[in-house]
Amino acid sequence: MAGDAAAYKVLLGDVRVWLQRYYARRLPPAIVEDAVQDALIAVHDKRHTYDLNRPFGPWLAAIARYKWIDRLRSLKRMAAEPLGDGVAIGDHESAVISATILEELLASLKPAQSEVIRLVKLYGFSVEEAAERTGQSVSLVKVNIHRGLARLTLAVERQAHVDG
Amino acid sequence: MSTDNLIDRLAGDLKPVRRRAPVAEAGLLAAVCILELAIFLGLGLARPDLMATLSEPVLWWKFGALGLLAVIGFGTALRSFSPVASARKGLFLIGLLAAASVATAWGLDTTHPRGAELLARLDPPDGLRCLGYVVGLSLPPLLLLAVLMRRGAATDRAGSASAVGIGSAAWAAWVFVFACPHDDPFYVVVWYALACSVIAVATRVILPRLTRW
Repeated sequence: MAGDAAAYKVLLGDVRVWLQRYYARRLPPAIVEDAVQDALIAVHDKRHTYDLNRPFGPWLAAIARYKWIDRLRSLKRMAAEPLGDGVAIGDHESAVISATILEELLASLKPAQSEVIRLVKLYGFSVEEAAERTGQSVSLVKVNIHRGLARLTLAVERQAHVDG
Repeated sequence: MSTDNLIDRLAGDLKPVRRRAPVAEAGLLAAVCILELAIFLGLGLARPDLMATLSEPVLWWKFGALGLLAVIGFGTALRSFSPVASARKGLFLIGLLAAASVATAWGLDTTHPRGAELLARLDPPDGLRCLGYVVGLSLPPLLLLAVLMRRGAATDRAGSASAVGIGSAAWAAWVFVFACPHDDPFYVVVWYALACSVIAVATRVILPRLTRW
């Protein structure tokens, strides 16, 4: 307030770091730096409203919050570009359906079987790692995987027979 | 411009500033209000039988309720120009006080049979004149508060604008009590409330747009 430019520059540097953290949690990354600059200008323009007898943090937080809400309002006002029908995107339908069916099939197995199949066949763990995680012996993991896959195959064949 | 450059520029542009002083702002506002009242009374606009009505409870109800509303409205507005203060509590208090004032009016309204000749009691020509006076009288404090709000850093601009509007309107109505020839609480509640609402709503709509920062 007295016009000490060097001290002010140090303060603005600290304020900048705080503002970057503040907005990074609240705004899309692309506009964080704009919001930081906007708030720094507001801090500069409204510095006469800071009461030296009170803590600086709440004053800065109030300005940052005000500018954040302002930024959110302007984001809301920005018209969203509608995507045309011709935009090419991958079709995820079959993957989603497969994942859903697989979950249903796994749910039909015993928990000990479905757990090790998930770990070894879906998540890529080794048999030893799966044994360590589940508390089953290595040989039991192998047996459960074998029996579980056999039951899954049977279930799929039955389903195909019903559908066919 | 990069943020580093911006910080350099802001530090380079730094000039000593005088701290915002809410007490000085309140003093300035009081001076404007007193001046306005002096001019109003100096123009001879007070009702001729003012001294004779000093014993009437309705007159003191008008002065008391409107004076309190003006003080709380002004206080809330000035306080809310700081970024760390909110106008919400003050506005809540104003709401309570307004409700209590209307309830008191109901108790004071013993001279008229309930529901009788309401339109005659409202006296629309006088009521509209009252409305015009109150709107006009609210302008000096309202304009001063708008300037102070623009200089301050209100973070709840809508709330601050409402407090500015209500405070200015209540003050204007308080000044107009000196001239108003009507002592019927029903008339006072309807027309004064209408005038205050018009000012408060207009201020609430317009002022936030002019004080964006």
